[in-house]
Amino acid sequence: MVRFKSRYLLCEVCVPDRSSLQLLEDRSIYNTLRAAVKRAHGDYGSALFNIGVIVKYLNAHTGVVLIRSRKKHYRLIWSALSFITCLENRGQMVQCFLNCLHVGGTIRTCQKFLVKYNRQQLHRMLPDCKTDAEKQEVRKAILSCSLSNVRDEEADEDGSDDDDDDDKET
Amino acid sequence: MSVFMDLNIISSNDKNRLKSIIETAAHLGYSTVAINYVVEPQQKKQEIPKPQSVSDIFDKFPIVQGKSSPIKVLNRLTIIASDKFTNVLFIYFDLVAVYPKTEKLFHAACMTFDVDIICIAVAEKQPFHFKRAPVNGAIDRGVFFETCYAAAIRDTTMRRYTIANAISLMEVCKGKNIIMSSGAERPLELRGPYDIANLGLVFSLSEGDAKAAVSTNCRAVLLHGETRATASGVVYTMKKPKTPQKQEEESPVSKKAKTELS
Repeated sequence: MVRFKSRYLLCEVCVPDRSSLQLLEDRSIYNTLRAAVKRAHGDYGSALFNIGVIVKYLNAHTGVVLIRSRKKHYRLIWSALSFITCLENRGQMVQCFLNCLHVGGTIRTCQKFLVKYNRQQLHRMLPDCKTDAEKQEVRKAILSCSLSNVRDEEADEDGSDDDDDDDKET
Repeated sequence: MSVFMDLNIISSNDKNRLKSIIETAAHLGYSTVAINYVVEPQQKKQEIPKPQSVSDIFDKFPIVQGKSSPIKVLNRLTIIASDKFTNVLFIYFDLVAVYPKTEKLFHAACMTFDVDIICIAVAEKQPFHFKRAPVNGAIDRGVFFETCYAAAIRDTTMRRYTIANAISLMEVCKGKNIIMSSGAERPLELRGPYDIANLGLVFSLSEGDAKAAVSTNCRAVLLHGETRATASGVVYTMKKPKTPQKQEEESPVSKKAKTELS
C-alpha cells in the first residue's frame, strides 16, 4: 500500500532569556528556516523545502517547534537547522539556536516523547524551587502527565512551567 | 545512550560567560566538556599559563539532561605550533592539543609529538595537503583529528573553509579518529550532539562515524590523555591526601606500602 511517509522534527528554541520567546510565530520560524536552507543548500535546498516542509506546531511558552518534512529529504533540512543563529520576530531579531530533540515518523510519537521530555524538565526544575508551594505545584504537574487529553495536559504543564520559571527568575 | 562530549570550549577570563556556556552544554546533553586554553609560544621558553581550578567556576555543577550525574569539566591546552616546541609541563592539563601550521610540523605532530589531538584549520584555506603516511601513522598511535564547527556558524566564508578542510581530511583518513567539537566562545554557538552528528554527514562521514565522532572517539581521547600521565598506560600515581592520623603514625615506609597493597 502506498503511503506518504514524512518525518517530524521536534525542536526546541533555546534563548538566553525566556521573555523574548513570548511573541514567537510559526511564520517567522518558517521564513528563517527557508532562508537557512537556501543559504546552505542553494536552489536544490529551496526546491526541497517548498514541496514538503511545514511548521506544524509551535509553543511560545516553552519554545517547542514541530517541523514536518518528507522522509527522503529530512536530513538535508535538519543539517540547515544547525546554522540558524537568530530568528526574525515581528521586526525584532532574537538571538537563539534550535536544538533538535526527537525525530519521529508520526505526530503521535512526537507527542509521546514531548510528554516524557516535559516530565523530565519538571524533574530538573524541582531542586531549584525555593518555596514549598512551588514544589507542590511541580509535583502535581509531574503526576498529571499523560498522553490522553494531551493538548490540555500540555497546556497545564506549560502553564506550571511558566509559573515556575517566572518564580525562579524573580 | 552514550556519553556525549564537547572537548573545545574557548576559555575566557569572564567567569559568568563560562558558567552560562557550561549550563547550556549540560542542558543540551553533554556529559563532559573541556575548557581550552590556547597558547601561541613566540619565543622558545614562553610560560604556559596554569589553568584555573575547575571548582572555582561552579559550587555545584549542573546536572546533565537525561542523566542524574553532574557535568564533568576538564582542562585542555592547545599549542599553535609555528616552530619546534619542547615538551614542557603539561601535568595541569588533562588534554593536550597541537595546531600545526606547516607541513613539516604536521608530519612531526602525527608521528612523534606527545599530544592527544591535532586541530584542523577552520578559518583559512588549508596551507598544505594531507598526506596518507603521517595521517595513518597518527591513527596507529591513537592521535585524533579535531574539527571545530563554531566558525561555520558564525560566518559564511568560514563555513566554506571548514567544510572544504573537513572533507579533504575525511578523504585521507576514511573517517577514522575524528572528533567534532564546538570551539564556542558564547553559549549561543553550542549545538546539540545529534545536530553535530548530522553535520558530520555534511562533512561526508558515514552515519556511524559521525555519531562516534561525538561520543566514542571523544572518550578515547580522554583515555589517551590519562595514559600520558602513566607509565606505558599500566601504572599511575595519585597523591593521597594526608589525614592527621597518618601523620602521627611513625611506621616505616616499607610497612606503609604493604598495608596499601593488601
